[in-house]
Amino acid sequence: MPPMPDDKGYINYFALLGLDETAKPGEVRKSYRQRMKDLVMEIAHVEITEDRRSHYMLEVATLNAAFYLLRDSATRDAYWALRNEVIALEQQWREAVDSSSGDVDTARRTYDSKLRLFLSRYGEEAMLEAGRDKECVEASKWDAAHERHASRILRHYRQSLYQQILERLPYYEVTTPRIDWEERKKVAASILAGKDR
Amino acid sequence: MSSSAKQAPAKVVDFEEVIDVIAKAVCEGDIVNFRLLFSPFSPARESSTESFDMPKYAYLLPDEEMMGGPRFAASRALVKRPETVSALRRELEANRPPQLPWELVLELADNAVREEKYSSAAQAYELLRVRARIQREFFVQADAALDAGNVPTAVRGYIIATSLAYDYAAFPEPLPITLDFQTRAFVLHSEYPARPEDCIGLREPKELLQTALAYLLLDAEAAVRLDSRSEEVRLAFLKELALQRDSACETFVARLREACVAADELLKRLQELQSTPALPGEVDAHMDLSKEEDDPRRIPAALLGYFIEEGEWWQYLKELVYKHPAAALLVARQSVGDLEIIVPRYAPDSPVVRALGV
Repeated sequence: MPPMPDDKGYINYFALLGLDETAKPGEVRKSYRQRMKDLVMEIAHVEITEDRRSHYMLEVATLNAAFYLLRDSATRDAYWALRNEVIALEQQWREAVDSSSGDVDTARRTYDSKLRLFLSRYGEEAMLEAGRDKECVEASKWDAAHERHASRILRHYRQSLYQQILERLPYYEVTTPRIDWEERKKVAASILAGKDR
Repeated sequence: MSSSAKQAPAKVVDFEEVIDVIAKAVCEGDIVNFRLLFSPFSPARESSTESFDMPKYAYLLPDEEMMGGPRFAASRALVKRPETVSALRRELEANRPPQLPWELVLELADNAVREEKYSSAAQAYELLRVRARIQREFFVQADAALDAGNVPTAVRGYIIATSLAYDYAAFPEPLPITLDFQTRAFVLHSEYPARPEDCIGLREPKELLQTALAYLLLDAEAAVRLDSRSEEVRLAFLKELALQRDSACETFVARLREACVAADELLKRLQELQSTPALPGEVDAHMDLSKEEDDPRRIPAALLGYFIEEGEWWQYLKELVYKHPAAALLVARQSVGDLEIIVPRYAPDSPVVRALGV
């Protein structure tokens, strides 16, 4: 099974602002304002295509969420605690799989429900809430129209994060595949050629 | 219940029959039936009250014709392998979510692609976490086929690759992409064309070609992969793509010609009325919809092949593109009095229009 990477694939809003977990609210505000200013300037100077619109909308939404969550000690502690809890649960599940203990499925379910909660809360809801915050609205010019467009983009972001994490986790719905990619190429070629058994 | 009450005899599952039904699901590339067989109420489980003898499960059993086929034989041989049989027995006896044997899921996915059941294939590859890589492999082989001048194989590769895409923004859970030309055509025609150049079929060939490829591939990014190809190759690709998306495109072309004749007749009628100086108000107010020659709705009906009772323009469009996806590129919305209809509108000398078979 692939090891857990250092960044673990979970959203780290401190890293997004170029800070560590000990950063003070003043540092959070300063970093957010500078990064948002740079981003707004960049957006003003590029031609906005459909793809770029989605990309920039997500960038603005994540920056807003980072500031919205980290400027207040209560929301910041709750976010960091849930993130650490999910990471610990992933480790517990991996250990249960490695030791083939009987509670593998329980460990997986507990982890999966916490992961979904974390991604839903901090990969989607927090961004939408931040878009209604006065200070975020002022800095990012986020409005109701952005929110309407963002809902699909944020859902896609949340699910993509889930998939990204899932890729390195133990298989549970199917047995662990041992794919021969050379053989796969031949199968694809035979399908394209219309050859059938 | 008293202890003397008779207990129903324990259910006995014929495992040879289980092997046959699993082999059928694998052979047909049917992920829904395959997963059903491992559900808690599956007739393949001894703990379930359901049984393959029940008429409602007859569709799960292979018929003689299928059992005589080579693909079924190959699927059955895979299911019948001792290690697979013991894994299947274990999963069907366990009281927990099943862990499906990966070899069967992979074979099922491949068969689903062969059968053009792309949603099923995408779900099976996604379970194995190889969907994106398989998709890339089809793109690579399709591009190689295009390099070699084999356009039909290249188009087939692109259709398979784009059909294996997943929509991670679907609500509430990610879902495979489906053939939704009805929705995409509606988006293409969402704005009323204020100027002739707003009509899709009248666009510049370069722009129309890009729109046509993105629309018929159901994927704008896949269409961008073809950007580096010459216009000649892209037009040949589009021609083949239109054919593979709609094997009955000749029927549509014949109907398109009929609709053009009907549109010309209507135009003459409007000009006739316009040249009558005694008629007060708007010209179309003097048209009698009960007369066939005055009814503009015969144009969309000619396109579709039948009338839709009180049909709006978008109903005609949706039904039309469901049958003939490329039609969305050759029609436009048109107001006639209080009515709004779809009419044929394209540049007949455009190479893109010719590639679409017109």
